[in-house]
Amino acid sequence: MALINIASHEIHCKIVYYGIGYCGKTTNLQYVFKSINPSVRGEMLSIATETERTLFFDFLPLDLGTVYGFRTRFHLYTVPGQILYERTRLAVLNGADGIVFVVDSQAEKFEENVQSITELEMNLRRLGKDLTNFPIIMQWNKRDMPSALPVAVLERYLNRRRVPSFEAVASSGTGVYATLRSISKRVMAQL
Amino acid sequence: MEQLTNLIISDHELALISNVLHKLMNDTSASSVMLLDKSGQVVTTQGSSTRRNATSLGALLAGAFSSSRHVAELLGEKDFRTIFQQGVHENIYTTMIEDQWLLVIVFDKLTHIGLVKVLSKKACDELSRTLERVRADTTRQKSSVLNIQFRSSVEDTIDLLFRD
Repeated sequence: MALINIASHEIHCKIVYYGIGYCGKTTNLQYVFKSINPSVRGEMLSIATETERTLFFDFLPLDLGTVYGFRTRFHLYTVPGQILYERTRLAVLNGADGIVFVVDSQAEKFEENVQSITELEMNLRRLGKDLTNFPIIMQWNKRDMPSALPVAVLERYLNRRRVPSFEAVASSGTGVYATLRSISKRVMAQL
Repeated sequence: MEQLTNLIISDHELALISNVLHKLMNDTSASSVMLLDKSGQVVTTQGSSTRRNATSLGALLAGAFSSSRHVAELLGEKDFRTIFQQGVHENIYTTMIEDQWLLVIVFDKLTHIGLVKVLSKKACDELSRTLERVRADTTRQKSSVLNIQFRSSVEDTIDLLFRD
């Protein structure tokens, strides 16, 4: 739920990157962190295990500055992708204004992706979100991998709601900003 | 069920909230008192100890609180309404207001937890009434803030800042 503070002239929105383990959620945030104008970003927080798997979430605050009199901020979060962290994902989703569902395009990950998007839809319903209007976009990540499935296949089985989708190679930054622009605009449009 | 897509806090309501937090901070001798939205966004903060890291603290405290509610569910408990984090010097007491906001009190060992519990309960009651007004006003105020000019400017800013 976005927070609009008229007194302090601030608007805050929460965007969550969701998807299976190693699909590239943290990589998206890391790319934004290292490449965006430093005046726009705050400190990036990562609650990770010793092997750098996300344990709770990553957090990156972005400050767009003052837009038409309102200081506008997006808070980007990732969820932990591993199956055992289902409850933690639900905790991070709480209060989200928009979701980027990051898909690992590799054929061997297909089934896991299907399970993950089913879980996401279930979790959003548990949080009382109306899926027909809630801002969600898809990112087809790891397009550079040899076993990447054709986009048409991913669209057919993983994007049944026909939401906007973007091809990406997050490790090199391809598609990262196109994804971020799209979800940011959809979140603002939904306010 | 979550029905609103946003919460709009006016000058008047923020002043009411700030007064409640300020009084609570003084009465408990706390070093800081914060009001967070359950999504981790900071509504407002009083006191110096949390000001510098308010954004990160908001995300972490709301995450910890949300996580503890799921622990409660798994234990068959209806809810954990509060969390107490005890350090050597600093302690944090967090309590939920109407499933929407989190009241966070940061205090040292000179303040007794019992006092914090009692006075935060009183503050929560006052903040609940303010939240009720915020919820009622949100729809009415939305169009005055999110007008066409704002929407157009924010799209331009997104295009300008979020690019390769």
